[in-house]
Amino acid sequence: ENREDMLNSKSNRLTEALEEANRLFDGVCRAREAALDAQFLVIASNIGKEKANELHSEMSAFDSAAFAEDLLTFMGINRTETEDSDDSEDVPGGFLPSNAWQKMGEEALKYFRRAPTFHYMMGSFKSDPPVPKQRIERQKKASRGKAERAMPAQLKKMEESHQEATEKEVERILGILQTHFENDPDTPISFFDFVIDPKSFARTVENMFHVSFLIRDGLAKIKLDEDELPVIAEPTKPSGRGEDDTRAGTRNQVIISLDQKEWK
Amino acid sequence: QVSELVQFLLVKDQKKIPIKRADMLKNVIREYRDAYSEIVNKAARTLQEVFGLQMVEIDTKRHTYILINNLRRAESEYLCRDKEKAKMGLLIVILSFIFMKGNSVKDSAVWEFLHRLRVYPGKQHKVFGDVRKLVTEEFVRQKYLEITSIPLTDPPEFKYQWGPRAAKEASKKDVLNFVAKIQGKNPTFWTSQYSQAEATP
Repeated sequence: ENREDMLNSKSNRLTEALEEANRLFDGVCRAREAALDAQFLVIASNIGKEKANELHSEMSAFDSAAFAEDLLTFMGINRTETEDSDDSEDVPGGFLPSNAWQKMGEEALKYFRRAPTFHYMMGSFKSDPPVPKQRIERQKKASRGKAERAMPAQLKKMEESHQEATEKEVERILGILQTHFENDPDTPISFFDFVIDPKSFARTVENMFHVSFLIRDGLAKIKLDEDELPVIAEPTKPSGRGEDDTRAGTRNQVIISLDQKEWK
Repeated sequence: QVSELVQFLLVKDQKKIPIKRADMLKNVIREYRDAYSEIVNKAARTLQEVFGLQMVEIDTKRHTYILINNLRRAESEYLCRDKEKAKMGLLIVILSFIFMKGNSVKDSAVWEFLHRLRVYPGKQHKVFGDVRKLVTEEFVRQKYLEITSIPLTDPPEFKYQWGPRAAKEASKKDVLNFVAKIQGKNPTFWTSQYSQAEATP
């Protein structure tokens, strides 16, 4: 406490406190008291340092109030006639134009050695080898490079891994289907039996997703059986490329909805 | 590899957040670890010769770098977005206040000063938005400002100083000239600040 008081350059409070501490120390006989005394010394020395700092800046007195006023003037402040507010900072007199800070910034930039922010002129897109920059412009944003390698290179990797995962899954499921059809070529599998995972709703949805890939690619077929339930069957073996393919290519869209309740 | 690094650095610099060596190694250099210093040196040379930008290490322990402009400022229009300009305006005001007050100022003093310029920490500013965040987070992350807590203060107080980027991008001399211009005085008017400014390159 009393920190502000002690910092005041005009006051001797700090010295007085130190002197009192000195006196008290004579009566110290317990370790805890000595520790307290040490703590006090640390705080006192910090305050002392601050005081010394303040002294230093008094040397060439800098009037921040005047500086602030001059800054406002520079920014183009519009001082209204009703100049009744001097110290009241709530509603100071005059108002700043909207470009006040931009103006300040324009002036400021003259004093900074700031590297201009770099932007590609052609935008960025994934492409293979980046063509080394052709033209060079000093100082401003130059480089008509084509590809933004550093960033898309990372993104590319992530996307690939996603794709791979999906493909692998699809292949796995295809493998299972094919094994089944090898063993039992004429029995189609019930769609739901195949995709539903009794333990996980999410897995079920994933399985449906993967199966749909196979169907899209013509590697499996869905048809309705007598009970109007979907079954997965082997695709009709194409006799020859050409017509069959185009026929198999007629696509139908089916939407299957399955919510958790149904799944259960 | 060098050109990749150059591009990487230029893009990373957009936000003005210092670039870490670890990032460079991970994203660009990768397999060529051994040639790291050679690649970096060549990249720095390219930046200098082609773009006039200097790569400066501001933290030798953690190896972080910034890019600054090595070319003398052209007097003409500096291409820059308005928002960026405004921020630089606020920044130079804060930096000059700190310098003129002896290089280290208490947070309360900084905000009291900004108060006079109609910038309030608790209030959304028309241009800057959340000013407190801009000053205490963005400027600090970009290494323009350094805010450290004053020990043993309760409630905790902080002191504001120039950050390493500020020291590299602007000199005390420049800032003093700025103040002198604004106040219409000769920089020698403030003798101790002037001698400080002359002393630091």
